Order: sequence, then C-alpha cells, then structure tokens
Amino acid sequence: MKQQTKLTEKQAPLVEQKAEAQTVREFASTEELFRTDAAQTTVPPEIGERLKKSAAELRPPPARPWWKNLLGR
Amino acid sequence: MNQPAAGQAAAEPSVKLQGLPPAVRQEPEAAPPVPGPPPAPWPVPEFGALYEEHSRLIYYLTLRFLADPQKAEDATHDVFLKAFRRLDQFRGEASVRTWLYRIAINHCQNLRQSWHNRHVQTSADDELWDSAAAGTDSPLQALETKELGQRIQTALDALPDEYRLLLLLIADEELSYDEVAALLDQSTDAVRGKLHRARKAFAAQFAKTA
Repeated sequence: MKQQTKLTEKQAPLVEQKAEAQTVREFASTEELFRTDAAQTTVPPEIGERLKKSAAELRPPPARPWWKNLLGR
Repeated sequence: MNQPAAGQAAAEPSVKLQGLPPAVRQEPEAAPPVPGPPPAPWPVPEFGALYEEHSRLIYYLTLRFLADPQKAEDATHDVFLKAFRRLDQFRGEASVRTWLYRIAINHCQNLRQSWHNRHVQTSADDELWDSAAAGTDSPLQALETKELGQRIQTALDALPDEYRLLLLLIADEELSYDEVAALLDQSTDAVRGKLHRARKAFAAQFAKTA
C-alpha cells in the first residue's frame, strides 16, 4: 500500500510534464500569437442582444398612413 | 497532481451527505430542459449578418486595446450602434471591415483620451522602445490556454497605444499594410518601421510574463 502511494507521487509530475509538453506551442510571429488568441476569444452573446434592442429603438416608427391624417383618426 | 483512487471517488458523495436529513439526500428529479426564449430578431437582417461576420474582430480589438472585458463589451455595442446609424452613409469606398475598424479605432481612442492622465507612457518613443527590446529574438512560446490571453494582455498593457493598435491590426490577415497605414493616418513606410519596433517591444514584454 505504501509502495503504491510512492509510485503515484512519482508518476504525478510525469503526467503533468506530459500534459504541458502537449500544449506548449511555439509561435513564429506576434501575428500568429494574436490570431490564436483572437480565435480563442468568444464574443459575449449579451452584446448582440443589447445591440438588437438599441437598434430597434433607433428605428424610425412606421409612417402614419396619409388617409389617417386626412380623417383625423 | 495525485489522482484519487477509483474507490475514493465513488465513496466521496456518501461522506458528504452524512448527517443531512433524508429530504436533502434525495436526488432531485431531473427536470426536462426548459428551452429559453428564442433570440430576438434583428431589426434589419442585413445588419445582423454584418454583426455576425465582424463582431469577433471588433470585440477582440476593443478587448485587447482597452484591456477590460466590460469596457470592450460596451465599446463593441457602441461601435456597431454607430455603424447601424451610419449604414446609409457607407459608400462602399472602403471594405465594411476597414469601415468598422475606423469607427472602432476612433471610439477606443476617444475613450483612451479621457484616461490620458492616468497613463504615463502615452506615445511611442521609438528609441526608448528600440533599446528596451534589444536582444529578444527568441521565439514566442506559450501555452494555448487562457493563460495565453492573460500574457498577451499584460505584454500589450506595457506598450504605448500606437504599438498596441498597430500589432492588433497587422494580425488581421485581411488587412494590407496600406489599409493599416490608412487606418492609422500614417504612411506605409512609417508603419513598416514602427511595426519592426513594436514587434520587438512586444516580444520583450511577452518574455517577461513567462
């Protein structure tokens, strides 16, 4: 049991190193770095919803039909 | 990191529930997923398409330039709202992309202008940054995780606005040097020269974040 614990403790850093080695990436240029960062960035959906409301408020109301003006209704 | 043994993982919930009244121990019945309200339609569908296509690049620019997710949200909203107001003024002389970039840059620069006094380094002193970035030709290495964004932001924060904006625009593969120069009101040669310094300055700052 004791031996098993020791093995686990030894193995753990190896697993971490392996995981790290898989994800470290070398970027050839700053542009590549920024493109990767941009691709990982998600636009919060709240912006679109806010924008829809704001844009809807900005839209001019539909023009009053001429015959309603004429009839005074 | 030590992985818990399979037996330990299985026993964990029962340990946590010990001593709680039976009513709490019962697993709640899985309720059927309630669909949320359908997304509201765009008042002008063409504008919705424009937003869907370009929102990421405008949000990313504002996020990294303003260095604040909440301000970037507000700025992206405001930029597209301005674009919506001026849709009839868009004459097609430039691409929609550069037109949106122009609005975004003006908006962000206006915001930054109001913070001017809080920032010591506000313009690119090329000689200063050239010497500060000397000897940093090593490749950029980073983990492809959230850490990448944090490191980029930290490095960008140390750069003057001019370099920051230049690097962000140049990273857009669809923008030519001439278009970037026009967006920054500079000559193409000046952009090339500054870009060299900006890259070196960024690499130096990025290395410090490791």
